[in-house]
Amino acid sequence: MEVIRLEQIEKIYSDNGVPVHALRGIDLRISQGEFTVIAGPSGSGKTTLLNVMGALDTPTEGTVFLENEDISEKSRAEISAFRLEKLGFVFQAFNLIPVLTAMENIEFAMMLLGIEEKHRRDRAREIMSELGIEELAGKRPNEMSGGQQQRVAVARAIVNNPSIILADEPTANLDSDTGANLLDLMEKMNRDHNLTFIFSSHDRQVIDRAHRLIRLTDGRIESDEQVKQ
Amino acid sequence: MLLTIAWRNIWRNRRRSMIVLISVIVGVAAMMFTDGLSVGMIHQMLDNRIGSHTSHIQIHAKGFNDNRVIGKNIEKTRIVEHAIEQTPDIRHWSRRVVTYGLLSSALSSSGGLIIGVEPEREPNITSIRESIVEGEYLSGAPHEVVIGRKLAEKLQVGIGGKVVGMASALSGDVGSDLFRVVGIYETVSSEFDKTHMFTTLDNAQSMLELDDRVLEYAIIVDDINRVEEAAAQLRRNLSADYEVLSYIDLLPLLVAQMEMYDEMMYIVYIIIGLAMIFGIVNTMLMSVFERIREFGVLMAIGMKNAYVFRMVMIEAFILGVIGTAVGLGLGALFILATGSVGIDLSMFAESLTAFGAGAIIYPKLTMTTVVNVVIIIPLTALVGALYPAVKATRLQPVTAIRYV
Ligand SMILES: Nc1ncnc2c1ncn2[C@@H]1O[C@H](COP(=O)(O)OP(=O)(O)OP(=O)(O)O)[C@@H](O)[C@H]1O
Ligand SMILES: [Mg+2]
Repeated sequence: MEVIRLEQIEKIYSDNGVPVHALRGIDLRISQGEFTVIAGPSGSGKTTLLNVMGALDTPTEGTVFLENEDISEKSRAEISAFRLEKLGFVFQAFNLIPVLTAMENIEFAMMLLGIEEKHRRDRAREIMSELGIEELAGKRPNEMSGGQQQRVAVARAIVNNPSIILADEPTANLDSDTGANLLDLMEKMNRDHNLTFIFSSHDRQVIDRAHRLIRLTDGRIESDEQVKQ
Repeated sequence: MLLTIAWRNIWRNRRRSMIVLISVIVGVAAMMFTDGLSVGMIHQMLDNRIGSHTSHIQIHAKGFNDNRVIGKNIEKTRIVEHAIEQTPDIRHWSRRVVTYGLLSSALSSSGGLIIGVEPEREPNITSIRESIVEGEYLSGAPHEVVIGRKLAEKLQVGIGGKVVGMASALSGDVGSDLFRVVGIYETVSSEFDKTHMFTTLDNAQSMLELDDRVLEYAIIVDDINRVEEAAAQLRRNLSADYEVLSYIDLLPLLVAQMEMYDEMMYIVYIIIGLAMIFGIVNTMLMSVFERIREFGVLMAIGMKNAYVFRMVMIEAFILGVIGTAVGLGLGALFILATGSVGIDLSMFAESLTAFGAGAIIYPKLTMTTVVNVVIIIPLTALVGALYPAVKATRLQPVTAIRYV
């Protein structure tokens, strides 16, 4: 099943009046269960592309379809509801609410969906044990390492059973062992739950794990190949 | 959960929250104190006026209060006294003669009210006897007069000094008498002291050719809150030939002043409230700006604008409520502490005695003040948070996340 379709996407930023062409004529389809890495040098448009796919940013030209629906026809509230239910985000850093514990951060995403407290607790525990981070439950972000924080962020991203996880350089601030761990975890989620993962990265380690690798340069897709099954 | 987040956020930047809290606390305490002080002052002014002459209720012949002409006197005193005795709640009453007149010494003269009182009954009504600072109160002997300190200074007489009183008598002739000063009093109002001189009822009646006629009945009721009921009862008991006036009817200027004070308090409230709003707008804006990234992430994962808005509002509301509670406690404590001892405002005593409040003010805590503060301040905090909260909802997730 196709979950994301981009048609002729252009994104032009204005940098103090100077137009910056971040994405040029992007056509792209993502299917359910993919494990895709978008690679490319700094400034090539990886973050911009991910933001457009996650309906966080609107393209200057072109159409974004999420689950076959044109998101330009949706209101801000509908889009935020869609993000809440269908998308999970993991950013490079500072993903978590600093004043909440790991457990509470995970619960928070469920609270936004209106899930009742007892249910939230159980589900948060379940997901933490699945990701092997039970011992972090009572810790605040500043009491956790970067890798631990990112794992909690992954837990939060997947807790509402989204169909797509968008992760923008999730390993950029982690050492390679921790990064590998995080990737193991995401690969497992992909395998066990058929979750769609889309990463952006210029990290060798991440690129090596890709099932589908999309190379971006200057806002253009340079190559797009299936590297693994 | 939003509550938990708001609560923890408050403690996240203690210094900033403390600044807001302190400004709210100081505002609340200041509000309560100015209010308590002015309420205390007004009560004192009222008590002083009631206690020095006005009493709770006065009865006159119809129309007397408008121009105080001696022709409007009460001849059938038995009827009025019977009516008074028929009215419940009345504690004390006394007969008076009140007329404009002139008091002259060898050196000077001064106009004012010449008041004839019953020396045994009047002290139940007013506090002139307790206000004597030199000499004695009226003993009941003829030709005695008690005057205020300011008047004594003006006339340059002391105890035993002779003064001539003159006023127009019932026949239209000038009635006069030679008095001896037996006592000098001093109340908190220098204006009163300058213009009120007291002699016995008998003396005043004979000087003004009134025989047994009375010009005024002064009445004290058991409970000041029941004055209007007692006055209404008296009106029912008496014919339309008489006027029954409560202290509210008798002191229109003071009542107007009280209303003006109320309005002034609202202006003070508004000023304090505005200062508080600015403080809260400022800190909440800072707190929002500090968390731009955090809000961005929350919005990215699907937090609705309504939640973002509520999060900021709840935070300000909590600060407002805590500040109000602490400020209320401090303000109440301060008022209770100074309420019985009083605050000596002698430095401004000159103007205060002219006002008739006295140099020592006893602040008073009223329910109205408490209710006002409890309603106004948390609301003010919410108003102050409005702009920062809207500002937070206007953030775009992408730009917010990029923001470091
Ligand atoms: N808000 C913005 N305003 C102006 N220019 C922007 C903005 N966001 C991105 N750009 C520009 O768009 C281009 C693509 O940026 P983007 O962040 O997508 O690159 P990236 O591949 O994610 O880079 P990196 O690996 O450094 O994260 C860059 O030239 C960048 O300077
Ligand atoms: Mg990037």
